[in-house]
Amino acid sequence: MDDEFRVIGHSTQQNIAVKNKRRRWWWVLTAGFIIVISIIVAVFSKKPKELPENPIEGVFEYVPEIIIPPVIIPLGTDSSLTATEKLDTIINDVHLSIYIPHNAVPELTVGVPDRNDNSIILAAQAADIRQDNRKILGAFVLKGEPLAWGLSKKGYCAIIDGNVTVGVSENSPLFEEATEKGGYFFRQYPLVDNGKLVESELKNKTMRKALCSRAGQIIVAVSESDESMHDFAQALVDLGVENAIYLVGSHSSFGWYIDKTGEKTLFAPDIHRGTYRNENYIVWRGN
Amino acid sequence: MERFLIISKGTEMLRIPAGRLVYISADGNYANIVTQDNRSQMVSFQLGQVEDMIADQLGDAGGNFVRLGRGLIINTDFVYFIDIARQRVVLSDCACFYHDLTASRDVLIKLKAYIDTTINHG
Repeated sequence: MDDEFRVIGHSTQQNIAVKNKRRRWWWVLTAGFIIVISIIVAVFSKKPKELPENPIEGVFEYVPEIIIPPVIIPLGTDSSLTATEKLDTIINDVHLSIYIPHNAVPELTVGVPDRNDNSIILAAQAADIRQDNRKILGAFVLKGEPLAWGLSKKGYCAIIDGNVTVGVSENSPLFEEATEKGGYFFRQYPLVDNGKLVESELKNKTMRKALCSRAGQIIVAVSESDESMHDFAQALVDLGVENAIYLVGSHSSFGWYIDKTGEKTLFAPDIHRGTYRNENYIVWRGN
Repeated sequence: MERFLIISKGTEMLRIPAGRLVYISADGNYANIVTQDNRSQMVSFQLGQVEDMIADQLGDAGGNFVRLGRGLIINTDFVYFIDIARQRVVLSDCACFYHDLTASRDVLIKLKAYIDTTINHG
């Protein structure tokens, strides 16, 4: 107040009373302020009545939900030659090389393929082999003949009548179908299942390789740098891959591709490495 | 023994003999302290905070100081002239300084009554 008059420092009852009065007013004002703030906070923090997640639709004014799926265009352009087309891309900082075999039929082979066989335009190691007995790890069918049984990994690849199917399942009827129809089948770590990333127990980082189905194409994707399985699989998801399984990767994995000029290029440096009788490959042979 | 008003904040400290403090005026969130040597020192405290310091540090010696409205604390020892009609109060020691200040009519009525009472009873 502008007409306030107060003697300072007098320890008279009057001044004590004035001080107490001031203090009382201060507390009353503070309490009032806190109450007002509390009410305001309570009013504004009250959740608005939520609309039901699925609003009830009217019969006469029914609005059908229109879902436009993202358009995923097949990769590659050069399909006239029998060769492997190579594309390079970077997704989420992961440098990917994508190999698209054209005019070639896929199959599995056991044993290291002959690198002088120029009919093979793309070759990559497929299933792993067991450390203990060097047998193929997981179910494996070679030209209709089962060579290994058992579920070690949930990802699978089946080649039946020249068609490659990549998927994730503990029990796939395609194993029997491959057996009946003279097809091929092997198992590997799943990476992508219906467009969703599948977490893997492999945590280290190395060069990664995957067999993928995307927009009706079967492609092989290779990371050009050391990547974790998670980052690699996420890059595949972001590439638009629908299903993908791992292929034996790392810097020592063997394999090659032949481009449209006829040049053969190894996936990894041709280092001295031991070979195993049950090493197996997915290869594409030119028509 | 002379009492001192000590105003301390951060790296600065102001130490004023209570009897040399003439008046303190409010300047927003700051206060101007005017002493008998005609110097003015600004401190980064509000007038109410300085009032509390006077009450806390000077005790009964602080009784010479009165709060006039929202903007002024004066040392009643230096009240030289009160003009209620013109809303003036002059602080002077009749030697070195002469400060002509304004205050509201009601405050000056109370100030005059207070000084009259002090004369009559003190």
